[in-house]
Amino acid sequence: MQAKLEKKFPGVVCSAFGDSVRLEGELTDWDEIVRCGKRAAKAGFRAVINDITLKGFVPPPMRTPALQDNALAEQTPDVLIIGGGVIGCAIARELRRWALDVLLIDKEDDVAMHASSRNDGMIHPGIASHVGTLRGLYNVRGNAMYTQLCQELHVPFERWSNLILYSDPIFGVGARFYLGYRQKAFGIPGWHVSRRRLQELEPNIAQGIRGGFEYPTSGMLSPYKLTVALADCAVENGARVSLNTVVTAMDVKGTAITAVHTNRGTLRPRVVINAAGCFSDTVAGMAGDRFFSIHPRKGECCILDKEAGPLSQRSMGLVGLAAMSATSKGGGIMRTIDGNVLVGPDAYEQPLREDFSTHKEHIDAVLDKHLKLIRGFHRGQVITYFAGVRAATYEEEFIVEGSARVQNLVHAAGIQSPGLASAPAIAEEIAKITLGRLGGQILPNERFNPVRTAAPVLAKLSLEEKQKVIADNPEYGVVVCRCEGISRGEIRAAVQAPVPATSIDAVKRRVRPGMGRCQGGFCSPLVAEILAEEGVETITKKGAGSELFVGTDGKEGADHA
Amino acid sequence: MEMICIVCPNGCRLEVTGTGDDITVTGALCPKGVDFAHTELTAPLRSLTSTVATAFPLVPRLPVKTRGEIPKGKMHEAMAQIRAVRVTKPVKVGDVILADVFGTDIIATGNAGEVAA
Amino acid sequence: MPNSAAEKYDVLVLGAGPGGLAAAVSAHENGARVLLVERERKLGGILKQCVHDGFGLMRFKERLTGTEYAQREIDRFHALNIDVVTESFVVDIQPTDGTYLVTTQSAAGMCRYECKAIILACGCRERTSRQVFIHGDRPAGIFSAGTAQYFVNIQGKMPTKKCVILGSGDIGLIMARRLTLEGAEVVGVYEIKDAPAGLSRNISQCLNDFDIPLHLSTTVTEVFGQERVEAVAVEQVDKNFQPIPGTRQVIDCDALILSVGLLPEIELPNMLALPIDPATKGPVVDQTMMTKAAGVFACGNVLHVNDLADWVSVSGEAAGRSAAAYCTAPRTWNDNATALQYERGDFLYALPQYFDPTASEPLTLYFRSREDVAGKRVTLDLGGEKAAFSKKYRRLIPSEMEAVTVKEAASGTVYQLTMHN
Repeated sequence: MQAKLEKKFPGVVCSAFGDSVRLEGELTDWDEIVRCGKRAAKAGFRAVINDITLKGFVPPPMRTPALQDNALAEQTPDVLIIGGGVIGCAIARELRRWALDVLLIDKEDDVAMHASSRNDGMIHPGIASHVGTLRGLYNVRGNAMYTQLCQELHVPFERWSNLILYSDPIFGVGARFYLGYRQKAFGIPGWHVSRRRLQELEPNIAQGIRGGFEYPTSGMLSPYKLTVALADCAVENGARVSLNTVVTAMDVKGTAITAVHTNRGTLRPRVVINAAGCFSDTVAGMAGDRFFSIHPRKGECCILDKEAGPLSQRSMGLVGLAAMSATSKGGGIMRTIDGNVLVGPDAYEQPLREDFSTHKEHIDAVLDKHLKLIRGFHRGQVITYFAGVRAATYEEEFIVEGSARVQNLVHAAGIQSPGLASAPAIAEEIAKITLGRLGGQILPNERFNPVRTAAPVLAKLSLEEKQKVIADNPEYGVVVCRCEGISRGEIRAAVQAPVPATSIDAVKRRVRPGMGRCQGGFCSPLVAEILAEEGVETITKKGAGSELFVGTDGKEGADHA
Repeated sequence: MEMICIVCPNGCRLEVTGTGDDITVTGALCPKGVDFAHTELTAPLRSLTSTVATAFPLVPRLPVKTRGEIPKGKMHEAMAQIRAVRVTKPVKVGDVILADVFGTDIIATGNAGEVAA
Repeated sequence: MPNSAAEKYDVLVLGAGPGGLAAAVSAHENGARVLLVERERKLGGILKQCVHDGFGLMRFKERLTGTEYAQREIDRFHALNIDVVTESFVVDIQPTDGTYLVTTQSAAGMCRYECKAIILACGCRERTSRQVFIHGDRPAGIFSAGTAQYFVNIQGKMPTKKCVILGSGDIGLIMARRLTLEGAEVVGVYEIKDAPAGLSRNISQCLNDFDIPLHLSTTVTEVFGQERVEAVAVEQVDKNFQPIPGTRQVIDCDALILSVGLLPEIELPNMLALPIDPATKGPVVDQTMMTKAAGVFACGNVLHVNDLADWVSVSGEAAGRSAAAYCTAPRTWNDNATALQYERGDFLYALPQYFDPTASEPLTLYFRSREDVAGKRVTLDLGGEKAAFSKKYRRLIPSEMEAVTVKEAASGTVYQLTMHN
């Protein structure tokens, strides 16, 4: 293997590292480094640790909160979950079905700050995964759990179905067998759709589309609303969430983590769960269980105005042969749960794990590729765009297991697409593993309530229901966000929730002011006023450092007679 | 030389020739433009608009302006005086907030306090 | 249940900025029973935050600040004891057999009003950074000029110490001066076009007076900063607005303030499925300000973005008059109304888009030239023996709207605006 790699990637050295293979050396192109890792992943080791450096590139340190205190000092939770994404929050809720002290920490100012708020919100049917993979297994299992989960959490969810489209008739024939095999192996309902039927289902679909495959279990939801709801429900059931909390080091004695050092004090948890997304390899390393590497795969998406929403009913993407075996499906168009249209994402390798900047060439390419699928979509409908980073391993596989080396460490690592769809199933599995690692007799939490207390969402209510809500609390009558019709009562409820929204963006993720066509121009000052009323002293966009104001105008002078 | 008359939104493009008091102005749609050019070349004046702090939680700032104009070079100094004021009693449009600032008054251009209701 | 029986009015005016206030007063004075509906806490619309002057020279023959202008209109409105509801948000409009049923949401609950006519006076909104495709990071410190104006003028909060302003629209220019006076540094104003978008006098008194440079044919292409804006990249552009390689410059600043244009706020026109003019981006109307939905009128910035509040008031008065007349003598949209013809190469837009010869309202025509031109003659043909209007303009520029009122009756078989030498 060394010889093979050396030939293709001069200067790269590989060595055994436990069951894994470790790559070292220096290359001048990031894509080469990723390719080298992918090549090594085929060599039959457990995983690839890719330590090849990029010439002239110094990886920026993980961004950490400035906060320093001792709020968590000497705490001894039964379980410490590192990472407040959809995976960590789902695990926290799941573990509270048991009489356990559960603490979830995240280094950001809110939950769902990385991949969990930066994806397309699609609950995949599972058809895009290879048979025999964990990605496929948890996807199909997780998808089936969503109807009940979203009812319990009061998170809007619709199974609007997914269309895999083709324009090449030969592809259509081949895909019938290929997809048919997966459907059967996974037990996914789905069928071929003729061109004529397609025109009936989606009257605005482009002329060049020759047919497709429909998967009715595919769903859409708001990934950040789901994550927040999971966290809220966990907290309502007694879990604790500590934000702006970053792990700086761990003490490991023998095969056990004895202490976890954070910027808020040193904790001594019984079991540690690694749900740290793009930093899950870093966390594993801190615990002395380094056996895989994350290569951050970035994607950029656009959101279209609600005026484009009614033009398509389903999520869909045009697929060619090459894309069927690729690691990401190449995006598409999706009618979002809030009535907008999401276009994208694309997928490209780059070395930065938390760079969410967007680029003209990527956004242009995404729009050029997908807008033409539906007649009536155009660039003028774009209201915003964003980027996310997938936490991919070189094996392109989830790591859902108890650590082989460290007795009290459990990994929910390398979770990339379809991580959102898989989250409930992964959480269930991780909870099971965690109980095993805790050992002894663990009693069920008799008072566990899977149903989250949810504040009313006015826009979804009938006239009579609105009237009743407003009669109970007149603040629900006062509309603050004119684009999305969101009331002061809804915003205040988000600021008072179990995991409270404390910044402009946190409010926006929960109740949407600023998501509409004005992008916060009208409502952000009003949201800032409500945050201030609720005791948030410094108004920020997304936590410390992102203050909205640099001060007042200094007019605090002497009183005018 | 060329200058834009700022007296009204017409924004006439004035062409000024000559020096001192002996200047000719063309391009003005009204006599105010000619006056403007004369003042602008001798002692330019500006009106100043801003806000002052108030003691009313629902109206933390009250809009104000100079009743007349002040020397162009004195705007920052006038701002310093404006910054030092805080309105504690109800006021309405036209009330004097600060008297004699470079020869004119700072007056309220909005209502604040009880009368605002 | 919603407040059961719908309250009845002749005219509902939606929006209490200068257009809505003038419309309400004029509909009332012409005999209609009027209700003014405002979504914000106070009347006055965007004028509440316009502490700068330059308003009212036409309407009041005085130089007023925006707030003074608003207060005069509000005082006049209140003096007439016209009904008004504030913090009331229109959630539904249903046509019902010659009347409209309007549902609002407020602290009082869901209220319903039945009216014969509606006047849309919902103003305009700012284009956002995303609509002009700015890329890079998304930190705190990217504000539209109007939002920055609200922070400074209403809340007394400073959104920046050192900023770059993109776009030379009037609010951007006004904010350049305002922020400078409040102690911030405005590094420069950058405009992608080769001519400023705002009024000449604002370039002079807001930028030149404070030595703030204006960079034409230059735009912001990227924003840097994880938490708060740390810098922006600016690049010169060619005549197709594409960045010219080698002209990129990175400027340190803590905020990017955008003044990249205003768009009519057409939520309510869309609710009524009114046809939208792609040139004005507002609903199509005839000279009575009636839209294609009989009994629904529109005025002010929802029709097209005006540069003077005075003109907004003028169109509000026309809409109010017409709506009151409609209540006593309902009419339908005249399918034989003559559509306005003009060369899109000569005019950015012109309106009203239709002339209905059977309607009595005199025609006030608004237009903007597409280019900066000198010595051109603009002629309006309404089918009469001689032109309904013809004037040689010393200069026409896109940023300055022109208005023409035609008093004489005309056949209206033709409705054509031309620009020629």
